[in-house]
Amino acid sequence: MKKFKYLIPKTLDEAVSLHQSHGGSAMYVAGGTDVIVKITSGKLAPDYLISLKHIDGQSQLELNTETGVFCIGGLVTHRTLEMSSVIRLQYPIIHDAVQRIGSTQIRNVATIGGNLVNAVPSADGAIPLIALDARLNIYGSTGERSVDLIHFFQGPGQTVLDRGEIVTKIIVPKQSKRTGAAYQKFGRRAAMELPLIGVGVLIILEEGSNRCAKARIALGVAAPTPIRTLSAERYLVGREITEDTLNEAGKLAAEESRVRDSVRGLAWYRREMVAVLVQRMGMKCLQRIKESEGR
Amino acid sequence: MSREIKLMLNGNQIFVAIEDNWTLLYLLREKLGLTGVKEGCGQGECGACTVIVDGLAVNSCIYFAVEVDGKDVLTIEGLAAADGTLHPLQKSFVENGGIQCGFCTPGMILSAKALLDENPQATEADIKQALAGNLCRCTGYVQIVESVEAVVDKSSEDINVVVRETGESG
Amino acid sequence: MQTVLYVTDDQERKGNKEIMEEFTVIGKRISKVDAVDKATGRALYIQDFKLPGMLYGKILYSKYPHARIIRVNTEKAKALPGVITVLTGEDIPPVRLGVYKDNPPLKAGKVRSYRDEVAAVAATDLETAREAINLIEVTYEAVPAIFDPEEALKPEAPLVHENHKTNLLKMPWNLHYGDVEAAKIEAAFNVEERFSTTWVTHCCMGTSGAIADFDHADNLTVYTNTQIPSLAQKDFQETLKVLGFKDKRVRVIKPCIGGGFGSKLDTYAYEHVAILLAWRSRRPVKIVFEREEEFCATSPRQPTVTYISMGCDKEGKLLYRDMSMVLDNGAYTSWGATTPSVMMMPITSLYRVPNVRYNAKCVYTNNTYSQAMRGYGNPQATFAIESAMDMLAEAAGIDRVEFRRINSNQPGDVTPQGLKITTCGLPECIEAVSRDLEFGRPREKGVGVGLASLIHVGGGARIYKSDGCGTIIKMDDYGKVDVFTGASDMGQGADTIIAQIVAEELGVKVEDVHVFHQDTDICPWDVGAHASRTTFVAGNSALGAARKIRHRLLNMASETTGIDEDKLTLKNRAFFADGKQVLPIGKLLRGSHFKPRGEMMMADNFYDPPNENMGRDFSGNMSATYSFGTHGVRVKVDEATGKVEILDYIAAHDVGRAINPMLLDGQVHGGVLMGVGYALTEQVILENGRNMNPDFRDYKILTAMDAIHSKAVVIETVDEQGPFGAKGIGEPGCVPTAPAIANAIYDAIGVRIKDLPITPEKVLAAIKKKNGAVSCGIDAFTQKEQPCE
Repeated sequence: MKKFKYLIPKTLDEAVSLHQSHGGSAMYVAGGTDVIVKITSGKLAPDYLISLKHIDGQSQLELNTETGVFCIGGLVTHRTLEMSSVIRLQYPIIHDAVQRIGSTQIRNVATIGGNLVNAVPSADGAIPLIALDARLNIYGSTGERSVDLIHFFQGPGQTVLDRGEIVTKIIVPKQSKRTGAAYQKFGRRAAMELPLIGVGVLIILEEGSNRCAKARIALGVAAPTPIRTLSAERYLVGREITEDTLNEAGKLAAEESRVRDSVRGLAWYRREMVAVLVQRMGMKCLQRIKESEGR
Repeated sequence: MSREIKLMLNGNQIFVAIEDNWTLLYLLREKLGLTGVKEGCGQGECGACTVIVDGLAVNSCIYFAVEVDGKDVLTIEGLAAADGTLHPLQKSFVENGGIQCGFCTPGMILSAKALLDENPQATEADIKQALAGNLCRCTGYVQIVESVEAVVDKSSEDINVVVRETGESG
Repeated sequence: MQTVLYVTDDQERKGNKEIMEEFTVIGKRISKVDAVDKATGRALYIQDFKLPGMLYGKILYSKYPHARIIRVNTEKAKALPGVITVLTGEDIPPVRLGVYKDNPPLKAGKVRSYRDEVAAVAATDLETAREAINLIEVTYEAVPAIFDPEEALKPEAPLVHENHKTNLLKMPWNLHYGDVEAAKIEAAFNVEERFSTTWVTHCCMGTSGAIADFDHADNLTVYTNTQIPSLAQKDFQETLKVLGFKDKRVRVIKPCIGGGFGSKLDTYAYEHVAILLAWRSRRPVKIVFEREEEFCATSPRQPTVTYISMGCDKEGKLLYRDMSMVLDNGAYTSWGATTPSVMMMPITSLYRVPNVRYNAKCVYTNNTYSQAMRGYGNPQATFAIESAMDMLAEAAGIDRVEFRRINSNQPGDVTPQGLKITTCGLPECIEAVSRDLEFGRPREKGVGVGLASLIHVGGGARIYKSDGCGTIIKMDDYGKVDVFTGASDMGQGADTIIAQIVAEELGVKVEDVHVFHQDTDICPWDVGAHASRTTFVAGNSALGAARKIRHRLLNMASETTGIDEDKLTLKNRAFFADGKQVLPIGKLLRGSHFKPRGEMMMADNFYDPPNENMGRDFSGNMSATYSFGTHGVRVKVDEATGKVEILDYIAAHDVGRAINPMLLDGQVHGGVLMGVGYALTEQVILENGRNMNPDFRDYKILTAMDAIHSKAVVIETVDEQGPFGAKGIGEPGCVPTAPAIANAIYDAIGVRIKDLPITPEKVLAAIKKKNGAVSCGIDAFTQKEQPCE
């Protein structure tokens, strides 16, 4: 493997200044599960790797019980997310996704921040977070800023991050009552899959009815970046959530998707699966709302 | 860059000089002679190189050697007792047909160990989930899962015994 | 998992004599003899070997599927510090590999596929070798390439090998027994269909590799992953001859093998490249494949296009089977090109069918070249046959299980090809599956059942002039037994089975027996681990040698004790008379060594089974006995996504006798899941000859979470020819899986998928087509119509 120096800063500022001083030959690394493969294969050739793993305060999950805001550190591993009871009970859509990312061995090491920053069209960690209207806190030499996750991605492997910036936190806003959310990765095997298509749906129902107050439909692998299908979302708002309306939303989402043929799957099939899974995840949202109200 | 790191390796503390660009797999196999750690793909997709770092199963082929500084690493060579007595999982794989060509076996056994350490009463679904990252082409996994289940049964009995002895409930 | 033992009617008639016999080792679930080494990480694979002064070799592959090599510039590579040797096709004498001798280990003048080896480097470390490979500059001139075997047969197709004049291999696989045309007229019901199968690959968890090492006198030792040590020795000997070395020794050492499945039935370029690099550098050279190389530069199972027609009379009796196939051979010729010889067996002999015709064309293309893989053509042929069996049963209005009962092979049959069916548990296998899977259970939406059967060689297969295997057994002073066998273990448990057979015969414990199978300097000759032949052939060979020893032991014991030989029994490491121990084996052996004119206890045996080479018309009893089996599966099809879920799976096999039921189950479960992958998920995707999915992320071998609850049912027919009655079982587990699943899908939702793998896309498109859709829509990006096919 190509030679490089592995730098281990202890604070964010130290990391950022190391990045600044080494310029274009430096890159950040967290779990490293993707970076190592890319260096081995020659796709990346940094002279300096700046590890973010040893910076304090980046690998916690915090649910502020007063504000209802849920904060995920950028260095939280997928395994931590998978095993978190808060996530399993209150954000099952995140659990849906993370428990099927890679293998246990990968999830033990790979971080959610790394998954987002990689920005591969097939990374399915982002989809549930987009459905949850998550924002990212980003730290760099000019200080901290915040960006909506849906606006974070610009293309395959491309994000709004400026040189030297670090994703420090993922902020999930307070969830309304009567929120249901679900995600499904559609693959060929039961495990070790990149999604052929990934569908996350969030539905908030009005008090006392099955009418939709808010909807989010987020898709992975349906375009060069994760997308929301706004026409399908708009269609649902104000309507009763039923198999039929979800079916229609699925069709709209499928039309809105910009799927393509690849070795992993054909466009027409991906489009079909968007329609099917939007409907199924929508029904799962209803079921989850019902379950939470039964508790 | 070279540096010296300190780690607990199979129960022994060692100091070893490494290069920054070494993977843990390279350190263990090529420099420390622990060839029980297998390389099946070098991309984290087959699990043959699985070792346990601070209690967690990881793919050593995509783990930086520098990152085990100060940590506890267990490879298949360190699993049996010092007197050679096999770990219950090793014994079970041997006795239940969990091994054919054997190339996936060290990683498979270590993934199973990490699971059972965390969840001694793992269900069949838990086992399959924990082993999903360890590919095997010989067995169809049936006897591998049985090998792990055989150990689960035993350890859950042990737990029941402990619970009874300490008078705890639930 | 459950193993169920059934005894066939035939056995019950014989009063179960064999079955009732008391065995101490045979039939027991005994741990594999190498399992502890493997569970503790002590077992050594090719990856783990290091010799003093060893260099690391790397190979540069072609950048084109078909091109002339204009120039290879190796100067920069040679100048790199640490590089010892660089070789190109121009630097080596004319070594040729493969069945057709059409494949040089390094190509000169022309490349014919992406996997063509253009140059090789040996360096002091792997990193340097990798770097050096990237410094080699090759100038190519691309020429038109051909990737579709049916297209390659057309006169205007570019030639892969100009000297060969045609892309059609000169291997005329043609047979016709009876009169198919007359039978077609006579038949009351007929079906006709086209089926296709695709490239799939072995995916051994341990990648390929070899170390070549010359001694000071130019004798060669090759450490290599091979299923054919003796034949590999011959191949390497030929390479030595071309290098100008005569009368030199070649020793083949076989480390533990991380899976075989047929991939190691030939020698490959990388092995010969290692030899050439070692020859040039005068140092040991090791080449081990990376995973991507393993996917791209080893030989997959060949794809087939099959046309089948089949007919039966009013009562459902098969009258004829007419099949023709086109096989993609790829750019060079290995054993893949000979798989029609095995396909002939199910085509002529799976079920009773009096009139049979078969024709197969193997065609050169600019794809990777094909090789044997578990089943050796049988899975491809059986997919077409058993799919068509269901179609014909439906056409005739006969229940699918009944249709198979009507046509089942029976003991004593001689098939049109001349296969002599001796023991045959096929009727029992069909019954076991039909009973356990509850074919008559009420229907649920989207759920269906299917079955498919198999015949396979179970008593060796006479592919060469010999189907033989040698064994040497010696005993030491303490009654321990060393068995030197020609057999090759690659994880399937050959060493364990042989140890059991010898231990049973010599009245010792399995742990008293050490089986050596790793070294041609030590072990006798054998034609290799193929055709599910090891238990049968190597087992019989070991049994014969053990019998010689046993005979001598009894003889000597009788002399020593003064007790008649026929009153002595040999068990539990000692001789017994009237139920009492009279003499431990070790004591007898020590006595025989420590005496004037002493003797040592050693015996050899060469066993060549009573089977026949195929004649000019391809008839002949190729195996000494045949294995049978039936698989049944219940699937659930998600009609919105086309996904197929396996709910139940029963695999019933006639194995003769289960020498070790635990290892037997392992062969069945492993074969079944490999078969499920073949049916549903696995495909080497070649786009204009280039491998598009050379990793485990996109080549979908199944994971533990995909594992199915298969139930193995064992039918023991106790074959007279087999060692303790056993037949081969290595390959059968993956043979009928795909058609059983395809038949179950048809039963579930009424669509028949004729092309493997049965992806959700194909199932959904077929459902749409059945419901009247012609198009699955226009693709937004490519603007291409996506037909529902």
